[in-house]
Amino acid sequence: MLTIDKDKCDECATCVAVCPADALCLAQHLSVDTGRCTECGTCVKVCAFGALSHTTE
Amino acid sequence: MNGAHMNETKQRTFDIAVVGAGPAGSMAALYAATGGRNVCLFERKQTVGIPVRCGEGIGLKGISASAEFDRRWVQATIRKACFMSPGGRTVTLEDIEESCILDREIMDRDLALRAESAGAVLLCGTPVLSVSRSDRALYRCTTPAGDYFASCVILAEGVESRLARSLGWDTSLALSDIESCAFCRIRHPSIQSDAVWFYVGSTYAPGGFAWVFPRAEGWANVGLGLLGSLCESGKPQQFLERFVERFFPGSSLTDLHCGGVPVGKWVKPLVRDGVMLVGDAARQVNSLSGAGIAYGMYAGRLAGQTAARAFETGTCDYRRLADYEKAWAKHLGKQQLRSYALKTMLLLKNNDAFLERIARSFEHADPSRLKYVALFLRAFARHPLLLLKAWRLFGANRAGRRTGDT
Repeated sequence: MLTIDKDKCDECATCVAVCPADALCLAQHLSVDTGRCTECGTCVKVCAFGALSHTTE
Repeated sequence: MNGAHMNETKQRTFDIAVVGAGPAGSMAALYAATGGRNVCLFERKQTVGIPVRCGEGIGLKGISASAEFDRRWVQATIRKACFMSPGGRTVTLEDIEESCILDREIMDRDLALRAESAGAVLLCGTPVLSVSRSDRALYRCTTPAGDYFASCVILAEGVESRLARSLGWDTSLALSDIESCAFCRIRHPSIQSDAVWFYVGSTYAPGGFAWVFPRAEGWANVGLGLLGSLCESGKPQQFLERFVERFFPGSSLTDLHCGGVPVGKWVKPLVRDGVMLVGDAARQVNSLSGAGIAYGMYAGRLAGQTAARAFETGTCDYRRLADYEKAWAKHLGKQQLRSYALKTMLLLKNNDAFLERIARSFEHADPSRLKYVALFLRAFARHPLLLLKAWRLFGANRAGRRTGDT
């Protein structure tokens, strides 16, 4: 599952721009639609502050 | 529908809705309102222009082409550009086009205020969550504060370009078409207020470059971008911290932020059924330098003017909105595709040894006679194969344009 570290996230939306599944959304804060997310890891890779990660549970 | 409800809907109905009050969106709203239209400008953030996610460097010609320039926007005036090679060689250009470092916080706020003074309704703290068709000639913009309606929508939503996606565009960026950047401000006695520095090579920023843009003597914006395909989680921030430690030891990083810069081709089409894309949302950025302010402002102005003119018959004539794309393609659009060809070609050859050879060949050159174009010519002259590849890329762009037109 994709996890957003709210303390690290700068809300720059770079991850939203690269998400091929359109699963991320930045309104007031960044959120992920877990139903759409395919866990491809693209957003994790481009996050400049390392605020995104995949966790297993 | 009761009377009160109808009244409220009327108040929430505009000719043109602009999403995003960055330079592109504010310019679009300003020119749409100046053209006599009823305009609404949405901004997600509470305050326009904060935080600044930008290196803030620009050529004066680029910005004056679109907006009435205000000297208060200038932080520092630039007289020379210096390049640092991977091995630490410096190439200096002294005779550069008049450039400056902007204060985007002031400029962005001023541009939004200009749009407001021209009659646009500015709504801060109001993210547009979705845009959908309300009926044949009206779009519905849904926000936490309720729905708004407009005949024409200009999307200046920035790099995320998500509303555009929901309306049928494929704007998701390939990893080779985005730079993941981290930037901050630092104070250090070695910073000169009249020189910009570019550090090229994989040791500073793989697939991108690091920059030092002065805000004043001893104070600068420092940042770097890594090409998405060469980036890993958290790497831009680590590279930035390492860079500052190496070249400006002892200085602390303030105003640390990150952001994505699109470095691909601009989106085609730019216009579709009453919706127009401008700025980062349309990927209108110089692919080589990552500069997007001048492109965004030019596109915003053009889109705003075109949209206003499309209403001349009373209702919005969607077919006339296409004039925006034609004008863009002819001017800066063409320039961007050239920068894209150059970027692609440099990446093909992006190894530190190559960059070092170019730097070495300029070691004894007179800085006052060096021009940007000379750097490229030298690179090509030494590598005829590159020139051939570049030529092919230009050719491919032209062919792409022809198919795009049909």
